[in-house]
Amino acid sequence: MTAFEGLHFDGTRAVGVPVYVEGQGDEIVIADAVSAPRRLRREQINVDAPIPGVHRLLRLPDGELIETSDQAAVATLWPSHGWIERVAFALESRWWAALAGLGLTAASVSLIVAFALPLAADAAARLISAKVEHFIGEHSLATLDRIALKPSTLTANQQAELTARFDRFVAGEPDAKAYKLAFRKVGTANAFALPGGIIVISDEMVRLTESDDEFLAVIAHEAGHVRGRHALRMVLQDSGLAVLMTVLAGDAVGTTILAAAVPSVLLRSRYSRQFETEADDYAFAMLKRHNQPPKAFADMLRRLQKEKPGAQDGSPIVQYLSTHPATEERIRRAEEQR
Amino acid sequence: MSGHGSLVTFKHPRSWPQLVIAPRVERRTSDIAAAPLTTSRFAFTGRAGPYFRIWIVSLFLSIITLGIYSAWGKVRKKRYLYAHTRLDGTGFEFRASPIAILKGRVIALLLFGGFALSGHIFPVMQLAFVLLLLILLPWIVVAAARFNARNSAWRNIVFSFDGSFGEAAKVFLGFGALALVTLGLGYPYFKMRRARFIIEHHSFGTTQFRADLATGGFIITYGFAFLMSLGIVLMFSFVMFVTAAAAAGGSSHTKPSGFTVFVLMILLYAAYIALFAYVRAQVGNLTFNGVVAGVLRCRSTLRTRDLVWLYLSNIVAILATLGLAIAWVTVRMARYRAANLYLIGEGTPETFTGATTRGSSATGSEVSDLFDVDVSL
Repeated sequence: MTAFEGLHFDGTRAVGVPVYVEGQGDEIVIADAVSAPRRLRREQINVDAPIPGVHRLLRLPDGELIETSDQAAVATLWPSHGWIERVAFALESRWWAALAGLGLTAASVSLIVAFALPLAADAAARLISAKVEHFIGEHSLATLDRIALKPSTLTANQQAELTARFDRFVAGEPDAKAYKLAFRKVGTANAFALPGGIIVISDEMVRLTESDDEFLAVIAHEAGHVRGRHALRMVLQDSGLAVLMTVLAGDAVGTTILAAAVPSVLLRSRYSRQFETEADDYAFAMLKRHNQPPKAFADMLRRLQKEKPGAQDGSPIVQYLSTHPATEERIRRAEEQR
Repeated sequence: MSGHGSLVTFKHPRSWPQLVIAPRVERRTSDIAAAPLTTSRFAFTGRAGPYFRIWIVSLFLSIITLGIYSAWGKVRKKRYLYAHTRLDGTGFEFRASPIAILKGRVIALLLFGGFALSGHIFPVMQLAFVLLLLILLPWIVVAAARFNARNSAWRNIVFSFDGSFGEAAKVFLGFGALALVTLGLGYPYFKMRRARFIIEHHSFGTTQFRADLATGGFIITYGFAFLMSLGIVLMFSFVMFVTAAAAAGGSSHTKPSGFTVFVLMILLYAAYIALFAYVRAQVGNLTFNGVVAGVLRCRSTLRTRDLVWLYLSNIVAILATLGLAIAWVTVRMARYRAANLYLIGEGTPETFTGATTRGSSATGSEVSDLFDVDVSL
């Protein structure tokens, strides 16, 4: 026989009346100091799911409520709950389970970030047809033209010459027709690949190259981005990260949510560095196929580094934050390609 | 109220210390001999350890179920926090069903996901999404308030929210637009109207809340915050300029060192948080002090300096523990919030009455299923 004390709230007045509740077989007897005891069948009473450290609430059929702190007695009288709540309660009640949960959470987050997200993004990118990808690229370029890029100041002759060189270089690539070179004035020496095979090279970058070989080294790296569909995969991985961060830090309150931005930035740059390394690898192989010297790649990087001193100083903190691998490392890898 | 007052006269068993703070309750001279003013305190009795376990289990199960468990996790976390937020010794109750929350999450995910993806791919489509969200905003506000109210109870008496979409549209879109076209001058008024809309349409049992808000306080708060942020920006630009000039004048012609910039950024961030804490404390007090429920009114005593300390230490703790401190932060914020909230007036919370003996089940079925989702974005 199990019994417990509680407070009865009738739903009309905000006053708790002390009650004594007793289980007698399949019946529950509820008694208070004034009225005659009431008898209810056990299944007529709706009991809330248990949470460690939270009072139990018993809902009577006519909307009345009994609150009690005697968790053990309630658990004896009404042992069954949905399996989800049972599992949750069992885990929440034990420190070792919580700590194991912590370890497993950390492990699953690492696995998701390192493997699952990139794999899922890759798979999702494959679902997007080349046509759509091309459309996205055109659209992005149009937007960039409106807000950031200026028309190129290179002469038509220069552009035609470089475009011819470019076309010959990418002719052997799968999907060669999709490749398109675009000249723009950016303000700094830069080149980037948009979804669908559009490669944008800045006037400043063109001027920085001292030979055809160096120009092709830049193109080879960007072709690596195109081939790996990095622009699209980055967008998808970014979205995945955003969802993951919302799940992880969704409870953070007020300004605290800003703290969640730090890991997001770190992980984003990690993905970016991985894509850069992948593009470098592709570039080395592509240059080799075309009998281009990998030295031009290293020379180009050196000149870029001189152009923007301090941008890549190889210190560990800067490395974690930067979107590109340390330049020294990239130069070293280029020079190993012989 | 007098007729029913005589019916349910109830003397509080314990005598609460009278009047901690000077009350802002208007009293007619004829009432002075009436019931003495009493204060009823809120308190938070939850602890970081147990809450951490609920939190980490929720996180873990959410991740391995691809987010599905998060609805159950949210209910369990909220139930813990509500149950340990006590008024007059009794905890609050959160009675939402996880399924309703799951439905709301799916809607929110679709909206948010569509918004994020469209931003990356087609900026024009993002504009369409912003418009869609704007149109949906009144619905979201009303649905969320209604959901939360209907699922919150104290001593088996349920809250309710009866704001209409039309009025929500007027307040959020109308006065929101007013704040925009007046270049922010109308913003304090917008915030006041917003708070009034939310308060006035809430009821606890049979008691409809009344909003007693003055625009003046909102104007002073936001005006001061605006001037301060202007001052901070000017000061930092000046400091940046001086350091840059000093570096340029020296032997090296490099920009100010990374370390200087780093320190300045941290200071700027701290200043921003202090300002944020100021606005939070002031607006929190203004809003809660404007809540009148029958003979009782709320009294909120948040202080800027407390919040500055709480926010700064929260961020440091969360960064230092790689996010594990979030559970502790939640508990300590709830404790601070509850410790600074009272009910004050000629009566005790025991005089509140419920709408019906049938509890919430009858009212629940009146509301169409469409609104039975939790859409808090």
